[in-house]
Amino acid sequence: MTDAETTSFKQSVNAVAKKITTITTDFVQYKHMDFLAKDIETSGKMYFKEPNSLKWQYKKPYNYSIVFKNGKILIDDEGKKSSHDIGNNKTFGKINKLIVGSVSGNMFDDKEFTISFFKMKTNYITRLLPKDAALKKYIKQIELTFDDSDFTVTQVKLIESSDDYTRIVLKNKTLNAKIEDSVFSN
Amino acid sequence: MVVKDVVQNPYFADPQIDYVYKANITVYGNELTGIFIAKKINETTHRIVFTTEFGNTLLDFEISETDFKVNAIVDELNRKILITTLKEDFRLLLKKDFAIERQFTKGNEEVLKSNFEKNDLYLFRSLSDTKLLKIAQTSKTKEKKTISFASENGIFADTIVIQHYNLKLRIALNYFKQN
Repeated sequence: MTDAETTSFKQSVNAVAKKITTITTDFVQYKHMDFLAKDIETSGKMYFKEPNSLKWQYKKPYNYSIVFKNGKILIDDEGKKSSHDIGNNKTFGKINKLIVGSVSGNMFDDKEFTISFFKMKTNYITRLLPKDAALKKYIKQIELTFDDSDFTVTQVKLIESSDDYTRIVLKNKTLNAKIEDSVFSN
Repeated sequence: MVVKDVVQNPYFADPQIDYVYKANITVYGNELTGIFIAKKINETTHRIVFTTEFGNTLLDFEISETDFKVNAIVDELNRKILITTLKEDFRLLLKKDFAIERQFTKGNEEVLKSNFEKNDLYLFRSLSDTKLLKIAQTSKTKEKKTISFASENGIFADTIVIQHYNLKLRIALNYFKQN
């Protein structure tokens, strides 16, 4: 993409991201490892509410939900609940920020990532390479796919240093519908 | 020459199958959950990977009865004692052939005595259908650890529990059916 196209794309994404107060979406996650016959597939629902409440709720093939909220992680594993502080875990904090940013599209941070942009037939792909050494050990590259009609994220691909990856496809997305706070209490 | 009977653990033996389980690991009161993957990658070796629910790899081992290789491990888990313990656990879990020294029955189960890496082992099988139910590793008279299996069809384990008795470590694996 030319500099002008990149600037225009970033502006469009930021304009959409700014208007987002909530996101509710279904997701399907594919964990790909070269030595497996099939990708490992899990799926569920994701909720995001400004400024930084996020819930991933896996429904298939198991019930597991994880909430990121106010520096805390709340987990409900088949009814077994626990809570953890992100506070002292810098890498985890960064991964968390990255997940929230990926979903809302708000992560074009030049300090944290080397970023490149690509225009494809029906979408845009943003490729982010972490700069932080600790993060780089776990995540080699992040690819965000944006719909070219509404500039929201439709796919997140996290590529590990081994080249195995996790691909998360977001579908049936609803923007700015009301989400009760209780959704994030787990 | 005495030919010993050999009994097999069928639960990780098929190289065509991706063995994928939800894992709950309890270690000294801390709970760690994720996805446990095992695959037989050649005649002697299994690949074992443990990831978070999001798919981030926490550890990645290649393991056979004689060799062991760490492909990847996150800093938080990179402790020699933990790696050694897991290596021994997985080696026993994945071992297919057990030479039987003697056997007896106990209630509804047949008990087969074997050994592995200088430890006495007892395999427990159902008398009625010879399903493998449990492997117990003992030292002298005490159980050191047990691996329990629940299996519908006798060739695939639906749930597995690795329970240690001299460490506070328990690994529970539940098979998850994918679409």
